[in-house]
Amino acid sequence: MSTNDELHMKKLLQQALPPVEGNLEPGRDLWPSVLRRLDAKTSALPWFDWALVAGLIAFAAFFPASIPVFLYYL
Amino acid sequence: MNSHPYLRAYLAGVFVPTLVLPLLLVIFIVVRIVLRAPIPIEQAMIFPMAVVPSLFGLWNMLWLGSHVRTHLSIGVHGAVLPLLLMPAGTLTASCLGILALGSHGVTWFQGVYVPYALIAPCFLAALVGYYLVWKYIVGFLNRVLGIA
Repeated sequence: MSTNDELHMKKLLQQALPPVEGNLEPGRDLWPSVLRRLDAKTSALPWFDWALVAGLIAFAAFFPASIPVFLYYL
Repeated sequence: MNSHPYLRAYLAGVFVPTLVLPLLLVIFIVVRIVLRAPIPIEQAMIFPMAVVPSLFGLWNMLWLGSHVRTHLSIGVHGAVLPLLLMPAGTLTASCLGILALGSHGVTWFQGVYVPYALIAPCFLAALVGYYLVWKYIVGFLNRVLGIA
């Protein structure tokens, strides 16, 4: 590709992608929102699953003989 | 990350039993050598070592190949696995002599007695355990490896 071609390509690209004007910064700090969303995702264990976990622990506590049998299947 | 998705699914599936297996081995060794309980460890380890990890990997591969058509969640798909594992494990244990059927219950590892009345709750608990393990651990690994 010659220098003329490169200049032509540069000109075409500049025409196709006009420079962005105005304030590029967001109006507010977005990081707290990101943190809130991350926290919401990690603590989103449904109550039904909590109940299942509790039931499983209670079952293992009441019938400890079942623990080695479970381990055999896992 | 779009290459070999089934290999990644297999590895994600194998992860949990691979972690549990050394723990199981330690427990069996402590019970047999330290506590001197007569547990037939060689026979007891065959099914968890040879069958369970491979079946977990293959089951996750099956989920990857079928969930586009079935729309089954990973947790429910995993909860179906005990329906295969329980009969297979029980048959293997019975053939290897680590499971003895009695008149009122089952004796595992020549020392752990489980009454027949507890078999159904045990099976339900296994379904629940598998549902949770597959939903949260295997599902997480599938997301990490880019296949879910």
